[in-house]
Amino acid sequence: MRVRVKFEKTGIMRYVGHLDLMRFFQKAVKRSGIQIKYSEGFNPHQIMSFASPLGVGLTSEGEYMDIDIKEEIDSQTGMSSLNENMVEGLAITGFRYLPDNAVKCMSAVTAASYIVTYKDSKDDACYIENIADLKEKFFDEASSINIIKKTKKGERELDLKPLIYRFNIEIKDGVPVYDLLVSSGSTDNIKPELVIKAFHEYLGLPEFDELSLDIKRIDMFTGEKDALVSLGDIGDEH
Amino acid sequence: MKKLALTDDILMQIDKPARYIGNEFNSVKKNPADVDIRFAMCFPDVYEVGMSHLGIAILYDMLNRREDTYCERVYSPWPDLHVLMKERNIPLFALESQDPIKDFDFIAMTLQYEMCYTNILQILDLSGVALESKDRTNDDPIVIVGGPCAANPEPIADFIDIAYIGEGETSYDALLDLYKEHRAKGFDRQKFLRAACHIPGIYVPSLYKVTYKESDGTIESFEPIYDDVPATVERQVVTDMDSSPYPTKMLIPFVRAIQDRVVLEIQRGCIRGCRFCQAGMIYRPNREKSVEVLKKQAKELLAATGHEEISLSSLSSSDYHALGELMDFLIDDCLSEGVNVSLPSLRIDAFSLDVMSKVQDVRKSSITFAPEAGSQRMRDVINKGLTVEDIIGGATLAFKGGWNKVKLYFMLGLPSETDEDMKAIPQLANEIAAAYYDTVPKEERQGRCQITISTSFFVPKPFTPFQWAPMYEAGEYLRRAKVVNDEMKAQLNQKSLKYNWHHSDVTVLEGVFARGDRRLCPAILDAYKSGCYFDAWGEYFDFDKWLAAFEKNNISIEYYAYRQRDLDEILPWDFIDCHVKKSFLKREWENAMNAKVTPNCKMSCSGCGSAMLGTGVCFNAR
Repeated sequence: MRVRVKFEKTGIMRYVGHLDLMRFFQKAVKRSGIQIKYSEGFNPHQIMSFASPLGVGLTSEGEYMDIDIKEEIDSQTGMSSLNENMVEGLAITGFRYLPDNAVKCMSAVTAASYIVTYKDSKDDACYIENIADLKEKFFDEASSINIIKKTKKGERELDLKPLIYRFNIEIKDGVPVYDLLVSSGSTDNIKPELVIKAFHEYLGLPEFDELSLDIKRIDMFTGEKDALVSLGDIGDEH
Repeated sequence: MKKLALTDDILMQIDKPARYIGNEFNSVKKNPADVDIRFAMCFPDVYEVGMSHLGIAILYDMLNRREDTYCERVYSPWPDLHVLMKERNIPLFALESQDPIKDFDFIAMTLQYEMCYTNILQILDLSGVALESKDRTNDDPIVIVGGPCAANPEPIADFIDIAYIGEGETSYDALLDLYKEHRAKGFDRQKFLRAACHIPGIYVPSLYKVTYKESDGTIESFEPIYDDVPATVERQVVTDMDSSPYPTKMLIPFVRAIQDRVVLEIQRGCIRGCRFCQAGMIYRPNREKSVEVLKKQAKELLAATGHEEISLSSLSSSDYHALGELMDFLIDDCLSEGVNVSLPSLRIDAFSLDVMSKVQDVRKSSITFAPEAGSQRMRDVINKGLTVEDIIGGATLAFKGGWNKVKLYFMLGLPSETDEDMKAIPQLANEIAAAYYDTVPKEERQGRCQITISTSFFVPKPFTPFQWAPMYEAGEYLRRAKVVNDEMKAQLNQKSLKYNWHHSDVTVLEGVFARGDRRLCPAILDAYKSGCYFDAWGEYFDFDKWLAAFEKNNISIEYYAYRQRDLDEILPWDFIDCHVKKSFLKREWENAMNAKVTPNCKMSCSGCGSAMLGTGVCFNAR
């Protein structure tokens, strides 16, 4: 039986990296008493996989891990026994049994949504009064948004436009708050800071520092651009 | 949300920010307003090293069982953060509450190795606490140290208020009760320290005066300043291991610790009496936990931590009386639940190989021997009761069982070592390789066997029979390593052998500190001020800065490290009564010089003196 566990990673847990988080969950599952399956061999490991890793410094309301378990338990029990083994900043919010044909979360992700804002309310971007109009010109009215993306192999030109599925902006207390839905996963993985960087360049703002952004992942999705389904909506609670 | 002492901007520019946020599962949360005593427990090295340490885990659990005390953890900030904290005047904080430890009642530090001494100063410096005891006021925390290097606390005497001599389980309650009493009636630091020195195991360096002979600089007298201050401090020892506090809710760090597993202490002390080994002397007598208690603790620890590996901790696990029963239990009960059993260094024999084959992939793992010396004469000098037959026999069994990798550990620079003794190291390795080719038929071999030789340089330690022994200059250690290396290349099976050795500068410095006295304090202070810290980390160790600090303070390395001490000389640690008598150590030194072996504690009692404690191997049925 494969279960998809949804969780939040907030507050100070943003400083814990992905590998450390994985190790935390291996031990938490073990403590919870949930009968997880192990691989075969001399060094058996838990059958556990995570959707797209979240970078250090980011928070999220929609993280996922899939685990294979030996004995069925009801979803509420599963959630509460895991929650008893969490720390401040980690909370389990979903526990669903996946259908047999479901794709593992790691390879299923095709899009992710984010809320992005500025850590400092005096960031240069906060002083651009018509930023919402400029965003329309930059994104909604543009036929392409060409950027240079740095990869391991070097640099390549990339058109961001078809990979950004939603780009809204709202001003809260004088600070721009971006609502983004972008392509994610193994083929075209677009980080939200890449979009904001391109926007800053369009705005003509001085050197962009990605550490100036406060980025929260809201959810992850699977499926085609026009028929995205949240990873958390697949399967059923038992 | 939990508050953090460091800002987001700092946390995002340093390596591994999770080292500094606390919040680990099983960490203790108390309201500081509800307690009388705030206690900072520091390991003066980086988080991943400190979080692996069992002693701190035991004391953290024990102190937090007191309702009036909140014990929190502190580790040395890595140099990247150190620089930022200095620049921005950020005071060092405890992980749990993130509060500055300058405002705590106690700053306690464990001394696990000599090369951490500058990190003690780093912690005090970043905390904003005066580096020297004499400069502290009634509002400052009490600085206390413990751990194995507190067996000779003299080189850091000026920096500490108290050294706790011995095992922490016994006297902390009395010390904290006394502190509370003194706090309640208007605190006077000097009065408190004066009263504390009457608690067993509590040493207050400022209450003693040391004078030195003009002729040769050795100690003339080492005496209490006041009549009521005890002239000797008795090392503290837990007498009943079964009822002694042991934490089950061990902390789970986010950043991977060196020991990412359950560590189960099965016994304290060692019956072997190797003459170079300080732990083998100061933790006497050997005290075992009962197998019932260990089974229960293993179960509880695995359940409370979720670790997927358990490892046994002791100085010599093969000597534990019920090792077979314990291993069977661990293998039957734990392996089935996806938990690995990792093996401590066991004596290689049929039993241990059988156990190892159950828990390890034979093709990938290696077997380890620690003969410590290459020749039988040298092994008799150090009282290592291991013969060539034991080693070759064990290795042959292992080869038959499918292993083809062997690791060998030796020491160089032992007292009376000759070039012949050094050459015996690669010769022994060659014999082991030959045993492989004799044992395993050609068609069954998977390439060559791999015999890895590692040598470390011997450092004489207080409270050992070798405490009087001379060391060598750094260049001489390297010459000895070269003798080993050249001889290895002359061996028939040299292609199956590999040799690793250590740097030697740091060995000399360790030697100076291990047997140092309080005249070293100004040099350590100057070394820290000139930028020395994290000396245990090769990339930060700067020998030239140390030499400069020694020169400035007229410290002679020759005096502390290279000379042969007179058996009647007053040694800086003689004020400590560690139960093992000096007369026994002298007898053992003479036995060593005559290459005479002393039987282990289970075979017969050699009258070291620790039987007076009335516990452990001295009283168990032999």
